[in-house]
Amino acid sequence: MEGVKLTIALIIAVLLQWTLRNVAEPFTFIDFPLIIVVYAALQRNSIRAILFATFSGLAVDALSGGLLGSNAFAKTLVAYAVSEITRRVYMDNLLLRIPVIAGACLVSELIYYGLHRLFGITPNADPVVTISYTLIGTTIVGTVIYILLERVSAEKRSSRKPEMFKPRRQTRRRNPIRLSK
Amino acid sequence: MVERSQKEVWRLAPWLLIVLLLGNFILMAFDAREITSGQRFIRVWAQTVADFVQSPVTSVTSSVTNYFSSIANLRGAQDENSKLKQQVQELQVELKGKQELTAENDRLKGLLNFKQTSKITVLSAQIIGRDPSAWFDSAIINRGSLDGVKLNMPIVTDGGLVGRVTAVSPLTAQVDLITRDKSGVGGVIGEIGSSTALGVISGTSKKDVLDMRYVPGTIDVQVGQLVYTTGQDGIYPAGLKIGEVVAVSKGSATTPNSIQIQPAAGLNSMQEVGVLLYEPPQRPEFDQRLPNTGKETKKGK
Repeated sequence: MEGVKLTIALIIAVLLQWTLRNVAEPFTFIDFPLIIVVYAALQRNSIRAILFATFSGLAVDALSGGLLGSNAFAKTLVAYAVSEITRRVYMDNLLLRIPVIAGACLVSELIYYGLHRLFGITPNADPVVTISYTLIGTTIVGTVIYILLERVSAEKRSSRKPEMFKPRRQTRRRNPIRLSK
Repeated sequence: MVERSQKEVWRLAPWLLIVLLLGNFILMAFDAREITSGQRFIRVWAQTVADFVQSPVTSVTSSVTNYFSSIANLRGAQDENSKLKQQVQELQVELKGKQELTAENDRLKGLLNFKQTSKITVLSAQIIGRDPSAWFDSAIINRGSLDGVKLNMPIVTDGGLVGRVTAVSPLTAQVDLITRDKSGVGGVIGEIGSSTALGVISGTSKKDVLDMRYVPGTIDVQVGQLVYTTGQDGIYPAGLKIGEVVAVSKGSATTPNSIQIQPAAGLNSMQEVGVLLYEPPQRPEFDQRLPNTGKETKKGK
């Protein structure tokens, strides 16, 4: 069930990435699919995370003027790295997730830019400006999305709690040593 | 669905990672090889799917924007109305003069037996999507192969040249702008035929600047001169306005001028464009035989 929800979230993220730049230019500095990919990687399922990364990356690349596969390459690598870190370090705290999404965004953008330079293509945008804006935009929006996702899953957990842990029957303790007569 | 144990997932993940990275790298290598005329299966189908989302979003956004802009425009309508009335009177005077000139032009054309050799059909299109990546500036238009759009067809606005089609799906097409790093347009400063300032215009990775190369240093180029296509690049027809010279670094007899051009089309704010249904004339196939190969074969015989 968690997988289905994340898949739906990823599809929505890709659709937002495809359309929001046409609504307002600043939205281009938010990497919605990366936010969901990192969230999936933080759930300790590395296979799901890297598959999500590849498919969402290819979907973005297909409509982009950049190299086909470059976004997918960068996101896949980042997803694997995050899932490996999550395996070793406790990351369930939201405050710890903020630097993770920021770092993932920075690494992803650097790999993307580096791959284009490797193949002899110079992107139209200024690298410092683009990376800085994307880092800020993705980190802020990512934090908000993580809070929302955590709230949704926390509500589910709390609603399920009574079923999972049924209240124990209170038995009356009897004192084996009777002090009375 | 098969539930895998955590240990199994951790064991499989590195192998899957290697396979996916390798696949993506191969895709990149193929795409980089044919970046100038990239027509990829994935691109075409992704565009077709995206069209069902992008078109409604674009139409809703544009209608909302138009509504608010019309409200904002009402405020200045009265002042604008009086200005326009004045302009109409001025234009009527100008029109009379123009009509006389047109009539004179027609007479002269008749005298010179002028023939209009080619007429290019312009297909109007709307930009329904922009590049989802912040690094590039390509655009998606709502016309595809079903409308007759083909690869490398030029895209223009009323201002001037925008770019060319680089991928076509049945309903949509992807457009690469002339400001792109790898783009190249044959251009001439001034009027075609009379000017000898021919060169190649390419993108500079900056949004508002184009570079013009190979213009001989002996030719005098002035800031403010207009630049047009020559039609010799095999993609764009001759006579399309590219832009205006904004900076010139004078060359010498041995070094060419270094010229910077500002694109005439407003590339950052365009909403509607025109697709020129233009196919360049077929060129004779390049004769790869060397001049002396014929003699060698004769000798061999």
